[in-house]
Amino acid sequence: MDRRQALLSLFGGSLLIPPSAAELLAGDDIAAGPLQPKNPHFAGKAKSVILLYMSGGVSHIETFDPKPKLAADHGKPSGVKQFLGPHWSFRPGGECGAPVSDLFPHVRECMDDICLIRSMRADHISHMEATLGIHTGSFSVKRPSLGSWVSYSMGSVNQDLPSFVVLAPQLPYGGDQCWSADFLPAIHQGTRIVSSSDPLPNLTPIASEDLQQRELQLLERLNRKHRKSRTADSRLAARSQSFATAFGMQHAMPDVLDLSQETAGTLQLYGLGEEATDAFGRQCLVARRMVERGVRFIELIDTGSNAPNNWDSHTNIPRDHPPRAKAVDQPIAALLQDLKQRGLLEETLVVWTTEFGRTPHNDGPVGRSHHPHAFSSWLAGAGVRAGMTYGATDEYGYRVTENEVHVHDFHATILHLLGFDHEQLTYRHGGRDFRLTDVAGNVVHDILV
Amino acid sequence: MRRHPHFESILTVVVTWALAVVAHAGDRVDFWSFQPIQFTRLTGGTAAIDTFLQQGLLEKGLHFSPAADRRTLIRRVTYDLTGLPPAASEIKAFLADGTPDATRRLVDRLLASPHYGERWGRHWLDLVRYADTSGNSGDFPVPTAWLYRNYVIDAWNADRPYDRFVREQVAGDLLPSNSLEERHRNIIATGYLAISRRFGVEEKQFHLTIEDTITNLGTAFLSLSVHCARCHDHKFDPVTNKDYYALYGILQSTRYAFPGTEVFQSPKDFVPLVSVREMETIIQPFERKVKEQDTEIERLRQLTLTIPPGEKRDEAVVEYQKAQQDRVALLESAPQYLKAYAVSEAKPVNAKIHIQGNPHDLGAEVPRGFLSAFGDDRVLPDEPASGRLPLANWLTSPRVQPLLARVIVNRIWQHHFGTGLVRTPNNFGARGERPTHPELLDYLAHGLIHHQWSIKWLHRRILDSRAYRQGGDSQLDSRTRDRAAEIDPNNLSLWTFPRRRLSAEELRDTILLFSGQLDRTPGKGHAFPPEHEWKFGQHTPYIGSLKSKRRSVYLMRQRVKRHPFLSTFDAADPNVATGQRAESTTALQALWLMNNPVFHALATASARRLLSTARHLSEDVVQHAHTALTSHPADKAELQAAMAYIRQCVLRDGSADEGRKLERAVASYVRVLMSSNLVLYVE
Repeated sequence: MDRRQALLSLFGGSLLIPPSAAELLAGDDIAAGPLQPKNPHFAGKAKSVILLYMSGGVSHIETFDPKPKLAADHGKPSGVKQFLGPHWSFRPGGECGAPVSDLFPHVRECMDDICLIRSMRADHISHMEATLGIHTGSFSVKRPSLGSWVSYSMGSVNQDLPSFVVLAPQLPYGGDQCWSADFLPAIHQGTRIVSSSDPLPNLTPIASEDLQQRELQLLERLNRKHRKSRTADSRLAARSQSFATAFGMQHAMPDVLDLSQETAGTLQLYGLGEEATDAFGRQCLVARRMVERGVRFIELIDTGSNAPNNWDSHTNIPRDHPPRAKAVDQPIAALLQDLKQRGLLEETLVVWTTEFGRTPHNDGPVGRSHHPHAFSSWLAGAGVRAGMTYGATDEYGYRVTENEVHVHDFHATILHLLGFDHEQLTYRHGGRDFRLTDVAGNVVHDILV
Repeated sequence: MRRHPHFESILTVVVTWALAVVAHAGDRVDFWSFQPIQFTRLTGGTAAIDTFLQQGLLEKGLHFSPAADRRTLIRRVTYDLTGLPPAASEIKAFLADGTPDATRRLVDRLLASPHYGERWGRHWLDLVRYADTSGNSGDFPVPTAWLYRNYVIDAWNADRPYDRFVREQVAGDLLPSNSLEERHRNIIATGYLAISRRFGVEEKQFHLTIEDTITNLGTAFLSLSVHCARCHDHKFDPVTNKDYYALYGILQSTRYAFPGTEVFQSPKDFVPLVSVREMETIIQPFERKVKEQDTEIERLRQLTLTIPPGEKRDEAVVEYQKAQQDRVALLESAPQYLKAYAVSEAKPVNAKIHIQGNPHDLGAEVPRGFLSAFGDDRVLPDEPASGRLPLANWLTSPRVQPLLARVIVNRIWQHHFGTGLVRTPNNFGARGERPTHPELLDYLAHGLIHHQWSIKWLHRRILDSRAYRQGGDSQLDSRTRDRAAEIDPNNLSLWTFPRRRLSAEELRDTILLFSGQLDRTPGKGHAFPPEHEWKFGQHTPYIGSLKSKRRSVYLMRQRVKRHPFLSTFDAADPNVATGQRAESTTALQALWLMNNPVFHALATASARRLLSTARHLSEDVVQHAHTALTSHPADKAELQAAMAYIRQCVLRDGSADEGRKLERAVASYVRVLMSSNLVLYVE
């Protein structure tokens, strides 16, 4: 019997205030619940998504998009700047032989499970807007984030954990707008967990279990009465739901974050205990545990907006990219292997991306500037053609020359893999229907199984 | 067709408007927000706001909601103006006041309260991303940043004319003053510039600080993303790359107080708040000594770097170390006086364009000046000083006033109604939203200018409106509500008064107030570790956790690590100009209300207070709590539920101490009530 049922049965016998299950868990107007799993438009392969977001703009030409011509033309003028050759060599990975640079030796070994997209394009050259774009499809003002749309469309199968969790030690550009629900019901907002020794404050109950349950019951009585004449305001029901989730989280969250149940081999695989990889390794391992428990959308952000401690290497790529790559490479490879070994990769979509690429020419002496016109991202897992490389850029990596995948296309494809048609998944707001993909987006069918 | 009573005048404005838009279509410079203010003279005085809004409502077939009941109104106004709930005695007095001017008097009383500045100053502090730390990789504490924070609070309390407020923050140190006190206040005001974010471990990245200043200047005062022009002309707005470096030169000619970095731990260039005599006889001689010592240290450092290894270098190293120790000794003998985190004049220079924003790739020199879109008087060719005073004058000049006034009017409106007349408060450029009620915005902007930029005039005008005094949607019958919500779901036409959640500060202050523990005195500095102990850097940044029972506006705000409670409840990130806070609903907030030990302790203190007069449980206990927190007495059902709940808690409590049982039960009830939507939302 799970805790929730235990709670229900306990209160089933209370005479003082005859409670209903709905009342205890949150009022009947929301028990049917915004987080109840919804029916997809068609059968999707993916049941959950792990988004690995690299903050600051990863150099595509130094990770997943080799450019021998750029190396050859190093130092030659490119406009007012000079071509800057890649700082790392590329080697083929897996049986598919997709070349990956020495920045990602572990991920390189997983290329047979990955569908690499070398033809990504974004719409904005600044961090904040581009970061907002990759998260929400809007490159200007705040809109509901991808995770919120997934939560909204898929609901949750675990009512004790939020449906959308963000594991982010630091705030990215744009801060919490990146996981905002905006006009979607507030319950679909991402819950940010600072993945450290104190991941989530106030998780340990002070009141006895019995008292806490009665408190929540009274709270819901007051809120339900209050809500009765305020039906148009989704925030009020979301507030009730937030208490129900919080109640469950008191037990479910320590459990999902408790890595002591993992074997030494698993911890080692993710690079836990190693200074460079421990932090992101924890994030990755927690993500797998959340997938196991039915969390729909888990976003891992490797670092924040504090350049140059992120990928924003304007002046010195050879100094600033390696520590970032080292922090994530082994943990990401471990996550893919671990999911696969447990049979979870078949129903989990793993997405790796950044907000934009970096220029083939220099910015500072050995750094690169922002480059939204072409960059690389990849997908792995549920429904994705593994071992495939899709799209191409010109010989320097300036422009997409083949099979452009705009951020809207990327989003449309992700929704498709979850069983949703991005044109049908709408939310009525301000007198019109809104979509994640605005008025654009094409599913990239070529990369689907 | 029934015509609106002011059809003619409104029509004039609309036509003028439309013509302006058409005439300037395609002309990048002629933005709506830069245009001269269109003033519509309406009869009916204070009803003007409603006249404009009613036009929009009529078009949609909607109406204002009926007036809010008095209890709802006093709770709304008191939170809005002071960030605190009304006291029971204040509610009683307001209910008893049958005169037609009762609400006006209420508003006047609240505007005169020192708590007004604590709430509205905070809105400004959000915008200027106020923090008590530097923001660089060591996040150095800035012990006197609070002087600027309190200056802001005092300025709002004093209803400092807004144009004056802008000028003081940009160039207070250069403005004439009538007393030493005023002079110091003006210097402190330039803390606005000094609190710009700092970056990195050295001073080399100061261009980022200047960029941060320009970003904030553009955003806070003009709602323009001027910083977009750092690398190229603005893509959408009429801000050129040259404009950016014209402003850059002014700031480059300004000396910012230096808070310390990993490499240079000692703060410097803070502005002494002393008299001229003290300055000349005590401080300047001392500063000269420090400067000489610094020069010597740098000479020795260079020496150790240049001579080859050997005895000579060892000697130089010893000498170098001794010079550093001497500096410490010297600083220990430093004269003690208050030093403002502010700016002063540096050597005037024109900036060179950073090609594509790269500070190492310099292009043509740009004369210091302002945004060219506002006219040709922008350049300061022979400016003998930094140019901050001309900048302050320019910001408040007739050419810029329309934008300056519209921006602040929109901010004030937004803080009263939740949504601005322009829904992108920090973007009045091409990518921002157009005003929903342009005539109203201009009407108020015009009024503000003609009432000597008095913000309190603006509050009075807004709070006097029917729009502000109408009830929330809960007072409507469901058919009316559903129909209105269908037609105008975002309530842009203001058919009802929008509900809002308490801000982080309001929630904490309410809890402290109700528990009897709120210290209402203004805060000052923070208990930072003493300067000589500092050794902060990227791996060991300053991390402070300082307790206080003062109002939340006085809590220490840090850039690298955000305050856990404040950030959980959406307080502004002190790294970015926040024009409108998010209003999130998260399980983390619920967890705080369920399990936070401080909250539990304060609820216990509240229970003790409630029971201090009554030994036993009575309905008064519940009514007192309910009224204090919601401004309404509990109705029959709420009262019964509360009483039954408390009794049941006592019954289930196994302890022998009857008094403590009741106290625990009431504390539990208080926590529940405080966590409920009745308390968390204002409507």
